[in-house]
Amino acid sequence: MMTVFAIVLGGFAMPMRINTDPTSVLWLLPLVVSISVVYKATKVYKIQAWPFTKESAVLFGSIVVFILVAAIILFSITWIVTEQLPPLLDKSAF
Amino acid sequence: MAQSWKDNYVLSLISTGALAWLVPGGGHFILNERKRAVVIFVAIVLTFLVGIYVGSIGVIDPVNAKPWYAAQVMNSPVVMLLGRIGATGNYRVYGRANEIGQIYTSIGGLLNLLCIVNAVYLAHLRSIEESQA
Repeated sequence: MMTVFAIVLGGFAMPMRINTDPTSVLWLLPLVVSISVVYKATKVYKIQAWPFTKESAVLFGSIVVFILVAAIILFSITWIVTEQLPPLLDKSAF
Repeated sequence: MAQSWKDNYVLSLISTGALAWLVPGGGHFILNERKRAVVIFVAIVLTFLVGIYVGSIGVIDPVNAKPWYAAQVMNSPVVMLLGRIGATGNYRVYGRANEIGQIYTSIGGLLNLLCIVNAVYLAHLRSIEESQA
């Protein structure tokens, strides 16, 4: 028991190893859950298990969808600027 | 009498805000919003703990990361103590873990700020209801 406690406590003194690959973006999901739950806790009139869970889930989904749409738009702009524009500029008559 | 009500009103708002800052959800707890207080406490404390577990206590840096620290301190005054421990100890922090740790702990603080404002507003509404009754 003490060993487990010491290991857990030691975890707060050393950073976790997180690679800079696309999967590290998944760390945003627990944060979005927290934001949804706290925001809805301040907004709903009365806290009841099922309606509260449903409203939090809807907000969670909305935030994730918005982030995905923003990511797709930014990726598209980057793709056009870095992949599509340079060849067009090279063929320019000017 | 009116002065006394006004004094109590201001005092109740200040004490609610202070308690909400001291313990996440504390402001709602003294307003008899027990379920709301528990949800807020669990969500904010978990977010903060995940943040310092991922990045280590070193993510609380009152010297080199002042803007992040300003947001982190909104979690609770206990963060100031952790900041002192982090500054005196040699806690390594680097890379993506540092970024994620700072983001989690700072968002936790900003969420608690939202809850502090909400608790003070609820206390204000309750005071007005009581004065009208």
